Amino acid sequence: MIAKRLAQAALVVLVATPAVAFEPQNAECIAPANPGGGWDFTCRTVGRILDELDLVDGSVQVTNMTGAVGAVAFANVASKRADDPNLIVATSTVGITQIAQGRYPGDVDTMRWLGMLGADVGTLMVGKDAEYADANALLEAVKADPSSVVVGGSSAIGGWDHLRFLMLAQEAGVPADQLGDIRWVEFSGGGDAVTQMMGGHIDAVLTDIGEIGGFIESGDVKALAVMSDERLPAYPDIATATEQGIPATGYNWRGFYMGGDTSDEAYDGWVEILSDLYESEAWQEAAVSSGLTPIWRGGAEFEEFVRESEARTRDISKAIGVID
Amino acid sequence: MDILGYLLIGFSEALTPQNLALALIGCFVGTIVGALPGLGPVNGVAVLIPLAFSMDLPPGSALILLTCVYYGCMYGGRISSIMLNIPGDEPAMMTCLDGYPMAKNGKAPEALAISGIASFVGAFIATIGLMLFAPLLVRFAIHFGPAEYFALFVMAFATIGGITGANPAKTLIAATIGLALGAVGIDPQSGVPRFTFGSFHLFDGFHPIVALVGLFAISEVLIMLEMKAHERSQAIKVNRAFARWSDIKPTFPAMLRSSGVGFVAGVLPGAGASLGSFLAYTMEKRYSDKKGTFGKGDPRGVAAPEAGNNSAAGGALVPMLALGVPGSGTTAVLLALLISLNIQPGPLLFQNQPDIVWGLIASLFIANVVLLVLNLPLVGLFTRMLAIPLWALMPLVVMVSFVGIYSISNSSFDLLVMVSFGVVGFVLRKLDISLVPVVLGLLLCREMESALRRALSISGGDPWILVGSGISIGLYVATALFLVTAIVLSMRKRRAAKVSREVEDEYVGD
Amino acid sequence: MAQARWSDRIAGVIFLALAIWLYVEAGSYAVRFGDPAGPSFFPRLVAVPMGLLALVLILRPDADPTWFRWPQILSQAAMLAVLFGYPLAIEPLGFPLSTLIASALLAKILGATWLQALALGAGLGFGLFFLFDAVFGLPLPTGPLLG
Repeated sequence: MIAKRLAQAALVVLVATPAVAFEPQNAECIAPANPGGGWDFTCRTVGRILDELDLVDGSVQVTNMTGAVGAVAFANVASKRADDPNLIVATSTVGITQIAQGRYPGDVDTMRWLGMLGADVGTLMVGKDAEYADANALLEAVKADPSSVVVGGSSAIGGWDHLRFLMLAQEAGVPADQLGDIRWVEFSGGGDAVTQMMGGHIDAVLTDIGEIGGFIESGDVKALAVMSDERLPAYPDIATATEQGIPATGYNWRGFYMGGDTSDEAYDGWVEILSDLYESEAWQEAAVSSGLTPIWRGGAEFEEFVRESEARTRDISKAIGVID
Repeated sequence: MDILGYLLIGFSEALTPQNLALALIGCFVGTIVGALPGLGPVNGVAVLIPLAFSMDLPPGSALILLTCVYYGCMYGGRISSIMLNIPGDEPAMMTCLDGYPMAKNGKAPEALAISGIASFVGAFIATIGLMLFAPLLVRFAIHFGPAEYFALFVMAFATIGGITGANPAKTLIAATIGLALGAVGIDPQSGVPRFTFGSFHLFDGFHPIVALVGLFAISEVLIMLEMKAHERSQAIKVNRAFARWSDIKPTFPAMLRSSGVGFVAGVLPGAGASLGSFLAYTMEKRYSDKKGTFGKGDPRGVAAPEAGNNSAAGGALVPMLALGVPGSGTTAVLLALLISLNIQPGPLLFQNQPDIVWGLIASLFIANVVLLVLNLPLVGLFTRMLAIPLWALMPLVVMVSFVGIYSISNSSFDLLVMVSFGVVGFVLRKLDISLVPVVLGLLLCREMESALRRALSISGGDPWILVGSGISIGLYVATALFLVTAIVLSMRKRRAAKVSREVEDEYVGD
Repeated sequence: MAQARWSDRIAGVIFLALAIWLYVEAGSYAVRFGDPAGPSFFPRLVAVPMGLLALVLILRPDADPTWFRWPQILSQAAMLAVLFGYPLAIEPLGFPLSTLIASALLAKILGATWLQALALGAGLGFGLFFLFDAVFGLPLPTGPLLG
């Protein structure tokens, strides 16, 4: 496989150098997770639309390379396919959080960051019969006794869902040395966490709105705050955390990276392809129907953004005590 | 009546010639994919989702095609369990215990027919349960919090000692081996890598299908090589080409009981079809194994796990559809499939898109009937599989397993792990240590540990949470009763041991 | 003649060592904040019964099995050599060629003639490659032959 890719890469460089614009051959998208997850969705949806709109030659091959929240795919690309111009890898804020906490074999400079196509938004919610009227009421209870509220989400301790709740708690005035007393419970998905809350096993959930929007619409849970800059068009009734005096935002964007040794030509070519994809009606529709807010950042701007958010996440993780 | 009306609409949409043809193709492909070790619903669906898109099928037809593949895989897993002692997928593991001995006794057609009918009964009862009680069942399932799940897993492992005739200490140690293997990889709660020796390849732990194929298939080939050529050719013979009704009829009560057990296990997200078939087998064995024939080719030992497995697969659709929470690996695949058809399962699905739900239920009924009709004549074909010489059959099975695993993980490391599991499986079999608990431990370790850790995270470390609800206390009491009766029965059995040992020797010695 | 009972004893010693290693190794996983049980609790919970059951095996062993038969052990060793070699060959040689060689050797070990073995190998090597790579669209390494 490696030999084949290298040979292909060499061939492409030899043959395609004089070509006017970059065009990927046998494009491949690695989803660093099992079929069905967010990264798999990103690869499959983008692959399908690229194919439908003929933005790439032929179809996009989706490869699932599961392991260690993306670290396996990251290591594989860094060591074996760093210069492959036809390969893109799905990632998100979750991946950047892993890098910031030193859980990937490498840092942001190991890869080239292509762009983001949309973002999910962290949402704080409680059971429909809970006594808390808004985010402040819940966070006041946490402040009074950090261990009195049990919160759950789809990430491990220190992961993005947990960090976002701690950011809210910190902004609401919970002292740093008491953040560790807040009871956090990890579930394998946002839907699991919400279901457990409906059963009365936990008190509150913080996770992305995309996966659990149905529970808010059906009235099974009460959303207290969204962690976005503005209210979401799909949920105009949910106040942002900032509006409630807790200035914290927490997006989970979806995007792509490629190997660190790829040519500028391939990099620019992919940024353009993804930008065209973002503009298409098909993507806007697919994104909204799966709960994402379409947002575009690409190329150098995106590289800058990734660097910034990595640094910020590392600072937050240190301040909160997730890493040393 | 509302339900009948909806169902009629569902059927009227589903029963077109094109859809029936798709159902037939889906069922056939699913059965074959399910029967081949190493290939499962993940492969089947990974292949068929792009196909459904490129054929531009309407959502209803795509749904029929893909549910047929899903149910077909559930049916198919049993075939290689019975014929080769190699389970086609994880839940079919329990069918090896009595299915392969039946085949060795010349009763392969009976075993295939009984397991096919049991699959039908299980899936049929589960579909009815789904249709009538889904909202009610969801309300029951959400009462299962982490502490209750932990009690359920404790029950599974406490009762594991009785599943084989061998030394219970060996069966239990096999379960601890499986649980230890399951702990390898990144700990989902804390993100700490455990027992990985720093290798990224191990960060995701051992994939159950890699362990299953290695332990069962590779070790089976090694055991087979131990026989001399003429012994091998006589290993399995077929007495009759087709099963007789009188062989099938006595297993019906077992099928009905097991369907109930399996369905309940399936409705609980996180338990899944493997636990369903396991509990169905252990319960049935405890209930009706009066003469110690289980594990030696008892037809009820084939009927129970297959009914349990298929009704659990149907039951798992309840939380998947009504909550959007996949209860097992296979329902996760089905969930991905619904999402790619632009159907979002969750609390609103039953209200907002009743046509989809009833269309799906109609497809499940159709899939089930088509599979039964397809599978009974195929019994003859599958028994003829034994006419293929072993030098061709075994390389085929091994290579398909390799390619199935490689095509999902793209990692030759996984293949090395699989062969290593084969060596371990061979050694364990020599020591008379059952492989079933090893795989079950590996499958359930993550869920069991997560349940315990989540419960303790909720209580802030207070262990009393584990016995804090009526459900968990009830499960622990049931486990205790099960163990007490098991010990009493084994003491009684020991008294009659001398007599039965003579009979056994005769039985095994053929 | 009394039967030898060494296999279970040796296995018991190995499992006991494994249980002790699990217990000790699990202790090295640091407990992070907000996680009362921590990553070491469950492995230790498994290691304890494993160790106790290993003692049962050592103290009350069953009779030894027949570990190998001569000359079948040669076939078994050859089979394992092929099975361990195959994953290492799949990427450098490509799927069709490595599968051809491996399945032909397996067939030969299982008692086929060379002609039968090669026919099966060619069928599986190219048939599975065609099925998975071309029909199902799941990419397999082609290797230098077809690349």
